Amino acid sequence: MAAGWEEIRRLAADFQRAQFADSVQRLSERNCIEIISKLIQEKKLDVVHTLDGKEYITPTQISKEIRDELYIHGGRINIVDLQLSINVDWVHVESRACDIAKSDKGIQLVLGQLIDDTYLDRLADEVNDKLQEAGLISVAELCKIYDLPGDFLSEELLKRLGKLIQGEMDPYNRGVIFTPVFVARHKARIRGLFGAITRPTPVSIMIGMFGFQEHLFYSVLEELVISGRLKGNVVGGRQDKAVYIPDIYTKTQNTWVDSFLHQNGYLEFDALLRLGIPDPNNYIKKRFKSNKLLFLRAACISQMLVDQVEASVEEAVNSATWTDIQPILPSCLSVEDVGMVINQAIRNTNVHSSARVLGDTFVVSEKFISNCLKFFDEAMQHKAQKDVKNNPVFLISEEDLKHASMLNESTAPSKKEKKEAERKTKTTVGSGSTKAGGGGNAREIRIRKTKKKGRRDEESDEETGMSMQDRGKQPEAVFMSQEDLISVLGERVSDCPEEILYELAEHLVRPLNKTYQEILREVSMSSTSTPSRANKKKSTKDLQEEITNLYNNIRLFDKGTKLFSEEIQVLISKHILKTLCTDVTNILFNFLAGDMMMSVENPKTISSEVRVKILSKLPEDTRAPLMKLHNCLNGRTTEDFLTNIEACTEVCGFMLKKGDKKKERQVLFLHRQALMEQLKESEDPALVLHLTSVLLFQASTQCMLHAPGRCVPQIINILTGRIPTEQQQILSTYQNLVVKQLVSQSMNRKQEEADQSEEWDEEARSVQHELLVLTPQVKDLPLAQKKNTTTEFFPQKI
Amino acid sequence: MADEATRKAVSQIPLLKTNAGPRDRTLWPQRLKEEYQALIHFVEQNKAADNDWFRLESNPDGTRWTGTCWFIHELLRYEFQIEFDIPVTYPDTAPEVAVPELDGKTAKMYRGGKICLTDHFAPLWARNVPRFGLAHLMALGLGPWLAVEIPDLISKGIVQREKRGNTYL
Repeated sequence: MAAGWEEIRRLAADFQRAQFADSVQRLSERNCIEIISKLIQEKKLDVVHTLDGKEYITPTQISKEIRDELYIHGGRINIVDLQLSINVDWVHVESRACDIAKSDKGIQLVLGQLIDDTYLDRLADEVNDKLQEAGLISVAELCKIYDLPGDFLSEELLKRLGKLIQGEMDPYNRGVIFTPVFVARHKARIRGLFGAITRPTPVSIMIGMFGFQEHLFYSVLEELVISGRLKGNVVGGRQDKAVYIPDIYTKTQNTWVDSFLHQNGYLEFDALLRLGIPDPNNYIKKRFKSNKLLFLRAACISQMLVDQVEASVEEAVNSATWTDIQPILPSCLSVEDVGMVINQAIRNTNVHSSARVLGDTFVVSEKFISNCLKFFDEAMQHKAQKDVKNNPVFLISEEDLKHASMLNESTAPSKKEKKEAERKTKTTVGSGSTKAGGGGNAREIRIRKTKKKGRRDEESDEETGMSMQDRGKQPEAVFMSQEDLISVLGERVSDCPEEILYELAEHLVRPLNKTYQEILREVSMSSTSTPSRANKKKSTKDLQEEITNLYNNIRLFDKGTKLFSEEIQVLISKHILKTLCTDVTNILFNFLAGDMMMSVENPKTISSEVRVKILSKLPEDTRAPLMKLHNCLNGRTTEDFLTNIEACTEVCGFMLKKGDKKKERQVLFLHRQALMEQLKESEDPALVLHLTSVLLFQASTQCMLHAPGRCVPQIINILTGRIPTEQQQILSTYQNLVVKQLVSQSMNRKQEEADQSEEWDEEARSVQHELLVLTPQVKDLPLAQKKNTTTEFFPQKI
Repeated sequence: MADEATRKAVSQIPLLKTNAGPRDRTLWPQRLKEEYQALIHFVEQNKAADNDWFRLESNPDGTRWTGTCWFIHELLRYEFQIEFDIPVTYPDTAPEVAVPELDGKTAKMYRGGKICLTDHFAPLWARNVPRFGLAHLMALGLGPWLAVEIPDLISKGIVQREKRGNTYL
């Protein structure tokens, strides 16, 4: 028992001892990690832990391992691979690798790969092997094989060129390495090939055909050309377009060109182009600086040829003949170029005015042409006379129209000329015989009308259109057709080719026609009868007088009209407007129409329709007043007309003289006299009554009257109280009788179909008889009155 | 209940054979002897693993034990006094370890600073009577309790290091 407790005490002591014994100083793993991280934190320790965190590694160890890996991998290793094998974070690997590359000259970091010199040397060895095998090797190819950047590779290779690599690099193109043997072979081939070339050859074709190395090729070729080993030129630099031109070719080319020019006197640009001279124009200019060459569009010709042309031109001009230049010049020249040459020659020989080019190649002297014209003089006279005899007026009017329109068309002729032409027109119109002229004109007007209907849209240029139309349908006025001319010329001018005849005819047609027309006019003038011409000739002065007379008459008639009641005034005014006023208007219109070549022979025939037509063609300034005048004719009083006519005459350039008292009296007298003459001669009772009443009216009121027949009763009414009663009675009986007769006449006409009764007949006969008896008495009324006052004028008749 | 390391440690502690309490005059020394042997083995084992974490000594009878234990948290050592009596019903009843300093500071403790082991440790002990001894009590009772409670208390600021003796590191 005691022993047991003793043992317990011992054990207790052991326990204490065990407790207080130093515990083994052993750090647990986590402590270690903590300690180390603490140390790293405090920068007391520089280590890197591996990716799996199980190991720490010092940077120097990394460097060492990197070097080891590099060595193992044969001098070239990717950093990614390094990181995998070293098993440290990529950042550390890269930074260490950079350090190594920086510190060690033999190791470089390229594209994330560590590469050392031994590797590069080995690479150079390999390259050399390949080079010796192939003779040429391109860096780009190497780049592909070794997966290295070209710059780096070429630099490294350049360093080893001549040491490890037996070859050289093209100085112009650093991308290629070749061996001297290869170069020599190349050079020899190029030399041989290009030495054999005799014509311009595109370099690219040679390269393709013989498999030259382009980079090497150009430098070699240049070298050979510069050194003079190859006689030739490379044009176009180092491009695909480059062309090798051997000297021998250029030489032959030049000699060919020289001899051709020398022999033929011209050079065709096309031929030079075919020879392979790209810019013939400049080439020729450069080559023949001293020679005076005439450059045309497609060729150039020598002075000699030009001289020849000049000589023949001069000769043609001097001898008043023609010459064909074509045979002198080379056949290859185009028509255009021939023209240029001829122009040049004409300019040089200074025969501009006396030579003319026909048919492109014929030079004809003006004298020759005028000689040709002379051939036709006689024929022309003959033909003119024949034509005038056949259809003179028609011809002339047509021709004149054409003439005038030609004048209108050409702006050149001065006003004076134009006026003259107009005057001429008028006179010629006048000169035609009355009937034919009138007819012709009337027809013309009608033609114009139909034409107008046909093409209303062209109304604005009616005149030119008309003239063209006229010209189109006036072959009668042409002297000779072109074909006829050609045949005549062919007879006269022997040995002329067809084409020049044609041209000549074309050239002659117009002057011939012109002269022919002149001759025609002359002939017609002289042939037309002079008396009719004298009668019909109306100068402006005559017209003016006529208008003035009519105007004054109208005024005087107007005065007489005023005496009547308003109703009758209107009737009379209308009558006046319809007769006298229309006449005046027509005269005016006709005068203006004359300007327009539309005048009518007899102005009275102009209807209101025609007036409108004429109006539409008048110029703006004359149209307005004339339009008003025209409208007045349909009015009710003469007053408007009188005011308008003044304006119109002014526009037309006439002077209206207002008659003074003396003149008025004279007019009155003349009028009465005229009426009396008429009265004396008339037999118709109605007319007699009319004239008598008018005369009596004038006698009693001293006013002229121009009234229609149906106003006679009114006139007689007015006369009541103004004339003696017995006269009055005679007049009224006569009037009654006239009425009766008129009635019976109309009855007769009606009864003609029905059975004619005796009674009527009887009555009519008696009336007739009475009228016969009474007529001299009635006639006597105004005449007797006259006798009382102015006996001496009419002494012989009662 | 305990981590793998503890389990491994416990498995290396020799199991006891004598079923005797302090009242058993004849067999208690035998039992006490075995207790000591187990403790010595456990301590040596701990030291060998650099995991020494307590000191213990008893009165001559081996009925009352006192000592210290420490816990290293975030590289700092926290040290506490411990004490316990061998109950008369030992080994059927596990001794109640007390940490007087922490009395009233945590809910996992009975009055007088006795740590609360009823939930996990007591059933375990009950199953292993009489094979478990004091060494097991330390390894499976106090050890885990400290590992759970002390970091919590420290984080709550209830236990502060300044009051606890000298620093180890």
